[in-house]
Amino acid sequence: MIDWAYIIDALPALFRGLGTTIMVSVLAVAFSLLIGLAGCILRLSNIPMAGRIVAAYVEFVRGTPFLVQVFFIFYGLPDLGLTLSIFWSGVLALTIWASVFHIESFRAGFTSVGRNMSDASASLGLKSWQHGLFVIIPIALRSALPSTLNTVVGTIKNSAYLQAIGLAELTYVAIGKVASDFRTVEMFAAICLIYLVIVLGVSALGHALEKRLDEPYRQR
Amino acid sequence: MDAQLQNSGIEYVKVSKWFGTMQVLKDIDLTVSHGERVVICGPSGSGKSTLIRCANRLEEHQEGTIRVNGIELDGRRASTEAVRRQVGMVFQSFNLYPHLTILDNCTIAQRWVKGISRAEAEERAMHYLERVRIPDQARKYPGQLSGGQQQRVAIARSLCMAPDIMLFDEPTSALDPELVREVLDTMTELANEGMTMVCVTHEMGFARQVADRVIFMDRGQIVESAAPEEFFQNPQQERTRLFLSQILH
Repeated sequence: MIDWAYIIDALPALFRGLGTTIMVSVLAVAFSLLIGLAGCILRLSNIPMAGRIVAAYVEFVRGTPFLVQVFFIFYGLPDLGLTLSIFWSGVLALTIWASVFHIESFRAGFTSVGRNMSDASASLGLKSWQHGLFVIIPIALRSALPSTLNTVVGTIKNSAYLQAIGLAELTYVAIGKVASDFRTVEMFAAICLIYLVIVLGVSALGHALEKRLDEPYRQR
Repeated sequence: MDAQLQNSGIEYVKVSKWFGTMQVLKDIDLTVSHGERVVICGPSGSGKSTLIRCANRLEEHQEGTIRVNGIELDGRRASTEAVRRQVGMVFQSFNLYPHLTILDNCTIAQRWVKGISRAEAEERAMHYLERVRIPDQARKYPGQLSGGQQQRVAIARSLCMAPDIMLFDEPTSALDPELVREVLDTMTELANEGMTMVCVTHEMGFARQVADRVIFMDRGQIVESAAPEEFFQNPQQERTRLFLSQILH
């Protein structure tokens, strides 16, 4: 039988872990979205080599296991002269991982906007940054949103890997409890439920935004 | 005629353009004077759209000279911007911004290109939306309008920028037949007010009624250029006769 009292007892510790999970995820989501946008703009720009460098970055990060990236950043980078705390190693690893998927989602969104819109903006005299900001981004965001949401959810869930370098996030706390009390079912069921609630909340926000961006396209 | 008016209009001198190795415009010489209404027709792939898209530098020409209201399109950003401020364009597929309301479609460029306040830009937008007879749709989005309504919005959006010259690139080709009339009526009104217009279209009724001159293009060249009566009654070139026999049935 499931020992509910045990779970309730463990909640304060789990919530402390959850705080770290949320903090690391929020930072990684924010940074990766910015890098994703910048990377996508470079990828599609006419700047020599920029597109290829970004494409290589995407292939490299997408083609290597996330856990290996985490270890490389935490254990490898200090040998190369860059020592980061556990927390910032985690933020960096998640940011890099998520950024490549954002680059690709945004790229799909940007290229869906097409020539007609840039013809319209050019003929009206809008400058290219105005066209980018007021026309491309809002239209692209709508088509990029579902896959962007996938990556955001993935970022939150992948933060669990950071227990491997000793970040005291939700999964790390749960594993610690299991190691001392052997309440395997209780602990893992509890944190699954917590992750699920967080992810469902983020999904709901995303779907609300999706609905709002769809508003102009609905027939009435 | 004063110097300003003499310089106004569009002037193509020996203009050539290639897409890759294919030459799409061959040594085009054409002058559209101030207040003139020119209709360009010709088979698809003849270069007519490319020709008018060169007039506001949506396409770059590689040889020759294009001047619009005396400003040479020489590739400098300043001259391109100056020309685009004076030239409006209406496209085959309307090209309205789908995420903006009709009103915002009509105000965005006024506000960001001309720096007009929101209130003034909206007033101006409503003025032109009334002229194209769709002020009641101002709060809707393009996707909620019929094709004919969308094209009239596109015309209003261009007019909001107070252009000197209007370019129309097959404005009725994407419309269902029953919606063509309303767009042509709007264009006819505009022509009657003295707007300088260059219009790529196969609407020969419109050409007869409105144009000062009809131009037939084929394979990147201007084959024939004449007043409408002359053009339709007595075309000089065999290729023109063949084309007319194919579209006038």
